[in-house]
Amino acid sequence: MKKFDLELAVGLFILAGIVCLGYLSIKLGKMEIVGERGYEIYGIFSNVGGLKVGSSVEIAGVNVGRVKSITLKNYQANVVLNLPKGLNVQEDAIVSVKTKGLVGEKYIEIAPGGSEKLIQPGGRIRETQPTIDMEELISKFIFGKI
Amino acid sequence: MSLTHLIRSIPSLLLILSIAVPVLAAEPMEAIKKTTDKILSVVTNPALKPPSKTAEKEKLIRQAVDERFDWEEMARRSLATHWAKRTPEERKEFVRLFSDLLERTYMKKVEDYSGEKVLYEGETKDGDYATVKVKIVTKKNKDIPVEYRLKKEGNNWLIYDVSIEGVSLVNNYRTQFNSIISQSSYENMVKRLKEKVELK
Repeated sequence: MKKFDLELAVGLFILAGIVCLGYLSIKLGKMEIVGERGYEIYGIFSNVGGLKVGSSVEIAGVNVGRVKSITLKNYQANVVLNLPKGLNVQEDAIVSVKTKGLVGEKYIEIAPGGSEKLIQPGGRIRETQPTIDMEELISKFIFGKI
Repeated sequence: MSLTHLIRSIPSLLLILSIAVPVLAAEPMEAIKKTTDKILSVVTNPALKPPSKTAEKEKLIRQAVDERFDWEEMARRSLATHWAKRTPEERKEFVRLFSDLLERTYMKKVEDYSGEKVLYEGETKDGDYATVKVKIVTKKNKDIPVEYRLKKEGNNWLIYDVSIEGVSLVNNYRTQFNSIISQSSYENMVKRLKEKVELK
């Protein structure tokens, strides 16, 4: 009887450990188990320069969503964003690929617009801005001076 | 072809022409090209070269630009979330200040034109919106990519944003206006705009 209790305790302990591990991997891997929450919109960028799936989407520096997928379409980047329900993005919002610091990671910044029309779920963001190529700009600045 | 044939074909010919002309006028790249050529013809006109003619030259450039730019749309997009809170009078005043500000900022650069080439790279249309890509080649053979964003108004394509090297003009002003308004007030921003416009 006593032995059985010990085995039960160990079993429960291991089970709890597995549940914790599962929770951690889902959390860290940013996976979603019960379907995708929120809605999706997409934008076509001429250059996303190292933006990754899972990169954050920010408005005024606040993380509001993430990049769901990046695919090539007509030699341009088709970026799908996942945003929470209730967060409205106006039709004239400008979405740009930005860099944290000078050489930091890439993220998406949304500058809200003033239009009364909103981008519907599955809709397209028309106003997109590609990432700025720092190296190219610096080289232009250097060689432009001569 | 007999004369009666010719006369009979006139209505159908007119019909074809009347269809063909608006379609031609509705090409966004043509619109950009027309305005660019108009401005270039003003800045390269030797008769307008002397300093005494500067005012006249600026007026002609402003006219050509006014024809192609949708100032209200640009101002509305730049003010973004703050536009809805403004009264019609405030909006009107802001549109005027905004267009004057752009004139003050860019007129000098346009007048300094010295033989840069403009290459038209292509257009993409999507319903009532279009983008036209242009490349400006400087005398040192450096390319500057410029992207115009246009919206169809009636039968005309009007510019509502310009991106140079991938940096949008509207987004630039949107960020600046937003930070000034949230730090102080709309009135303060208008005051600063007025000072800037009148300064020259």
